[in-house]
Amino acid sequence: MKKALFILFISLFLGQASAETKRFTIPLEGSPSLGPQDALVTIVEFIDYQ
Amino acid sequence: MEKIVKEYGNKVRLVIKFYPYKYRDFARISAEAALAASDQGKFWEMHGLLIRKSPQLDRSSLIGYAKQIGLDVQKFTLSLDAHKNAGIIERDLKLALELDLFNTPTFFINGRKVIGNVPFAYLKKIIEEELNAKKK
Repeated sequence: MKKALFILFISLFLGQASAETKRFTIPLEGSPSLGPQDALVTIVEFIDYQ
Repeated sequence: MEKIVKEYGNKVRLVIKFYPYKYRDFARISAEAALAASDQGKFWEMHGLLIRKSPQLDRSSLIGYAKQIGLDVQKFTLSLDAHKNAGIIERDLKLALELDLFNTPTFFINGRKVIGNVPFAYLKKIIEEELNAKKK
């Protein structure tokens, strides 16, 4: 029982940590950006400085 | 984050969206400060400074940071006080709402959502996955 709970906990934790496979489309025009427009990977960061 | 982007050379692009939490006093004015610096061509200098100095982000501190990175302080202060770039911040906030975001930072790596202050190693893992997928 303890072992089952442990596995459940770990899988929940890992599930939370992994990136979603769903892909969102985010408009990028007019936002500060670093790196080429045709980069293979684009990272959008939503930030709060405080 | 900028370090990661530079590490990957021309393969990775970083785009910043503003999501100032409304119940934090200086969240909004800091975003205005970043955009005011951007208007003078120094967004990344200010962006880095704000991250390092947070939570010391009151108006007079921000003006000090502007001086530190060599901005036209008068222009910067006018922009700050007039909320000159409120439109961009409002646009990003609306987008965050549409995307159901409740946490900062939230990342989208080629559209894949990653929430919170995850370790850099984890972000790198996703970046590698995306780079490998593009190679095939």
